[in-house]
Amino acid sequence: MLGALAVAGPLIFHLIRRTTRERTVFSSLMFLRPTPPRLTHRSRLEHILLLLLRCLALALLALGFARPFLRKTAPTDAVSGEARRIVVLVDVSASMRRAGLWAEARNRVEAVLRKATPGDQVAVFTYGRQVSPLVSFEEWKAALAGERTGLVLSRLAATTPGWTGTHLGNALISAAEALADADGEKKGITGPRQIVLVSDLQAGSALDSLQAYDWPKGIELEVQALPARNTTNAGLQLVAESPDADRQATPAVRVRVSNAGDSTREQFRVGWARPDGTDFAGAVIDVYVPPGQGRVVAVPVPAGIPGLQKIMLRGDDEDFDNSVYVMPPEKQKLSVLYLGADAADDIHQPLYFLQRALPDNPHLTVRVVPHSPAAELSPAEVQDPKLFFVTEALPPATAALLREQMLAGKTVVFAPKTAEAATALGQLLGISGLGLENVQPSNYAMLAEIDFQHPLFAPFADPRFSDFTKIHVWKYRRVSAAAIPGARVLSKFDSGDPALLEIPAGKGRLLALMTGWNPDDSQLAVSSKFVPLLYSMLELGGGLIEQGTQIMVGDPVPLSATGPTTEPTVVRPPGGAAVTLPAGTASFTQTLQPGIYEFTTGQRTTRLAVNLDPAESRTAPLPEDQLERYGAPGPQAVPEPVQAARREALLQGAEAESRQKLWRWFLGATLAVLLIESALAGWTARRQARTVNTGGLTS
Amino acid sequence: MIASANSPGLSSAALIDPRALMSIRNLELRARVVVEGFWKGLHRSPYHGFSVEFTEYRQYTPGDDPRYLDWRVYARSDRYFIKKFEDETNLRCHLLVDQSRSMSYGSNGYTKAQYAATLAATLAYFLHLQGDAIGLLTFDEKVREYLPARHRSGHLRQLMFALEKPASGKATNLTTPVERITGLVRKRGLVAYVSDFLAPLERLEPSLLALTACGHEVTVFQVLDPAELTLNFEQAAVFEDIESEQTVYIDPAAARAEYLPRIEAHCAAVRATCQKLGIGYHRLSTEQPLELALFEFVQGRMRRGRLSRPSAPSRS
Repeated sequence: MLGALAVAGPLIFHLIRRTTRERTVFSSLMFLRPTPPRLTHRSRLEHILLLLLRCLALALLALGFARPFLRKTAPTDAVSGEARRIVVLVDVSASMRRAGLWAEARNRVEAVLRKATPGDQVAVFTYGRQVSPLVSFEEWKAALAGERTGLVLSRLAATTPGWTGTHLGNALISAAEALADADGEKKGITGPRQIVLVSDLQAGSALDSLQAYDWPKGIELEVQALPARNTTNAGLQLVAESPDADRQATPAVRVRVSNAGDSTREQFRVGWARPDGTDFAGAVIDVYVPPGQGRVVAVPVPAGIPGLQKIMLRGDDEDFDNSVYVMPPEKQKLSVLYLGADAADDIHQPLYFLQRALPDNPHLTVRVVPHSPAAELSPAEVQDPKLFFVTEALPPATAALLREQMLAGKTVVFAPKTAEAATALGQLLGISGLGLENVQPSNYAMLAEIDFQHPLFAPFADPRFSDFTKIHVWKYRRVSAAAIPGARVLSKFDSGDPALLEIPAGKGRLLALMTGWNPDDSQLAVSSKFVPLLYSMLELGGGLIEQGTQIMVGDPVPLSATGPTTEPTVVRPPGGAAVTLPAGTASFTQTLQPGIYEFTTGQRTTRLAVNLDPAESRTAPLPEDQLERYGAPGPQAVPEPVQAARREALLQGAEAESRQKLWRWFLGATLAVLLIESALAGWTARRQARTVNTGGLTS
Repeated sequence: MIASANSPGLSSAALIDPRALMSIRNLELRARVVVEGFWKGLHRSPYHGFSVEFTEYRQYTPGDDPRYLDWRVYARSDRYFIKKFEDETNLRCHLLVDQSRSMSYGSNGYTKAQYAATLAATLAYFLHLQGDAIGLLTFDEKVREYLPARHRSGHLRQLMFALEKPASGKATNLTTPVERITGLVRKRGLVAYVSDFLAPLERLEPSLLALTACGHEVTVFQVLDPAELTLNFEQAAVFEDIESEQTVYIDPAAARAEYLPRIEAHCAAVRATCQKLGIGYHRLSTEQPLELALFEFVQGRMRRGRLSRPSAPSRS
C-alpha cells in the first residue's frame, strides 16, 4: 500500500512545475537580475482536473498492486496424510545451562511435538558429548497417540543440561543414521524425513566429524536456534606451566580467560576461590579481554591457605564455566636399582650415564641406587625400586630376590657388559644353559627392525624420530632368541642378531638389551634416543605415572594413572556417592561433572581435577552457514511462533487473493482513467495552441 | 569569418574555423596550425617583412653609439650602418592566462579557456619561432603557475602543458597576476593578458598602471563567448553561476534588455582603462578565428611601436 504514496507525486509535480526548470550554467551572473516567473490562473484550473485524474490513476494502480482480497474463510484442504519421521535433537551440553535456554528448549520441543500428526514418527535424542535417546522411535510407536507428547515432556522434565562439551557433528550423524535405520525397517512411510535441532548453536560446538560424513539424501535439517538472554560470557581454562615455572619465586597456576565473541563486557576478575567456594581467597587479578579473544594470566597461589583447589572468574553473565579445578600434581619419587660394580665417575661405564640421564624435574625425582653385585642385597632394598638394571653376573641370592620382584610385577633391564653375565640372565629367567657370545662387528652395527608398536618404542613411531641409524654399535652380545621361551624381539642389529628382547615373567618382564650404552659399547648414551627410552622403561615398569594431561568432563580416566589396576579402586566424585570399581577395570568413565575426583587404590589416594570443556565457553552463536559448510543440508531457520502465525495468515491471504484476482479490476480501472486523462490533456493542449495561434494571451 | 571585413591582410579563405581548430586535441599542434596559416596569410598581404623582431639598418649619423655599427655591412659596402632594435630579438614576453572557472564556459562546443589557451599557445609559438623568450603565468583567484620567460628547447612544451590544465578556480582576481608580474619581471618586455575580465574592475587600473610604468608593453585580450555577448537563450531557466554556484531564475527574453547594456558597459570600462594607459585592447569572441587575434596583435604592436617607440637606436 506504500504505492499509494505515489499519488503525492503528481501533486508535487503540479506544485513545483512552475519553479523547477532546466538549469543553465552561465559564466557569470554579475549582469543578470532574477526575473519573476509568470503564472497563468486559467491553466492552473484546467490542470487541477488533470491532476485529479492522474492521482486517481496512480491510486488505482497502487490498489491493484497491493493485491487486495476479500477475507473469506476458504475451505482448507485436509492436512496431507504423509507421515513424517522426525528426530528431535536436544542439546544438553554445559552451555545450555545459561539462563533461560533450557526452558526455551523444552518449549520448542513441545511445539514440535504438538505439530506432529498421529501418523508421524518421532524420536527425541539428547546430545552433549554423547548422543543418548530420550524417546526412541519404538517407544513413540508403542505409546498411545495422546500420551506421546506427555511421555517426551515428562522425560525431558527429568533431564537437565549436563557439563559436557558439544559434539554437534556426531549428534547430527547419529540422528541421520537413526533416520536411515528406521528407513530400513519400515518402507511404508513416504513422508519427509527431518531432523529438528534444538540447540543454542554455540561456536564451541564440534562439527569436524561432519566433514567426513556423506549426508544422506532426503533428510532435512530444521534448526531451532535458542537465543541467549545474556551474551557476555567468559570462561577459564588451565594452561600448561611455563617452562620456567620452577624458577619463579611464588608458585602460580596459569589460566586462560577467554571471552565469547558476542560479549558486551571486557573486564573480568580472576582469583583462587576459598575452600568453601564463596569468595576469592588471596589476590584478585583484573583481566581485560576483548570479545572473541583470550588472555593467559598467572594466578599466584596464596600462601598459608590450605585446601585451595578452584580458580574462579567473576564479571560475566553466566557462571556455569567460571571455575576451573586445579590439583597441584604431587612430585613423584622413584628409585632405580643398578646392579654393577661401576665407579660412579667412570665415564667408560654405564652407571655414569644412567645417573645423568634422569635429572630432577618439578614432577619427578629419580634416584639411581648403585649396588655392587658382590655385596649382599637385602629384601628391603628391592622393595622401593620399580626398575632394576643388571649388567654383571649376580650371586644366586641376589638373582633370586630380583626374580621374585620381577614375577611380582617389576621390570628388570638386563644389559650385560660382557658375555660372562649370561649366568645372571639364566638365573633371572630360570633357564639353564643360556649362553652369550661377544661380537665385535668389523665396522659397526646398527639397530634395525624396531618394533614401533611396542610401548617402549611407541614414542619414536613418528617418522621424525624413528631414525636410529645414527647410533653405531661397536660391540654387542649375541643371544639366541629361540633359546628363551616367550621372548619377543623388539629390535635387531643389522646383522640379524636380537638387540632388545622382552621376556614376560610372571606379572613383570625382563628387557634384555644386548649392548651397553656406554661409549665403549655403543653411541646409545650420547644419542637423543637414550633419555626417552629410559623414561619409556620407567613407564613400562609402572613406576612413572603419566601426568599433566587435563581431564575434561566425559573423558575416561585411565586407572593405571592412579595406581595398580590389580586392586579394586574406590572413586569418590565431587559431591557424590563413592563408586567401587572392580580390579582390572581399565578406566573410570563417569566423569559427569567438573570437580575433584578422589581415586583410592589400596593405600594410595590420588586426586584428579576434572574440568569443563573450554570450548563450551565459546558461547557466541555459530555462523549461520557453518552447518552447510560442513556438508549438512541448509538449515531452515524456523521463525518465532508469533511470526509463524503471521506468516500463516499471510499465506491464507495470498491464497484468497490468487483466487479472487481483484487486481485485474483495479488495473482495468487505471487504464480507463489514463485514457480519459490523455484525452483531456490532448484537448487542453489543442485549445491552448489555438489560443496562441489566434494571438490570444493567457495572462 | 566575421572578422574578414576589418582585416586587410587576411582573406576569409585563409582563416581557420575555430570550431575545426579546437577539434585538434594537441595544443601545440593547434598553435602551429594557426601560426603557419598566419605566415601563409602574410605572404599574400601587403605588410611584408614586419615582425616583432623586426630589425632594420639605418645609416650611421655622428652621435650614434658605435657599438651598434654593423661591421659586416661595413666590410661589404664600405658604409656605416646601425643595427636597430637588436635587443628586441631577445624580447621577453609574458602571457597572463586566466584559468578561473568562468573561463570554462562555452556555448559552441569549446570553452573560453580552450580558446584562451590556444590563443596563448599561438602567441607563444609565434614568438618562439622568432627566438623570443616566453613566460607564462596562469591564475584564478590567486596565481596558479608561473614559468619565467625562457627561450630554450623544452620550455615551449612545458608551457603548453601548463596551459592545458583545466580551469578550476572558483573566482577571478584580475589584479593579483598583474601585481605579481610587475614584481617578478624587472626587465622590460611584452605582457599579453588573456582573460574574460568578468570580475569587478576597481583595482584593475592601478595595477595595470604599475605594469606599464615599469616599461612593459601590455596587450589585453578579452575573450568572451557569443552567448555572453548576446544572451541568446530561448527558454527561461534557473541560471547557475559557474564560479559561485549561485542560482537565479532568469527569463532571457525579459532579462536581455537589461543585460546587454550592462555587459557592453563593462567591456567599455575595460577598453577605456586600456586606452587610458596606452594598452592594446582586443575583444575576442570565441567564434572569431585565432589568426585575426594574432594579426591584430602584431598589427597593434607595430602601430603602437611606431607611435611610442623612442627614436634613439638603443633601447637598452
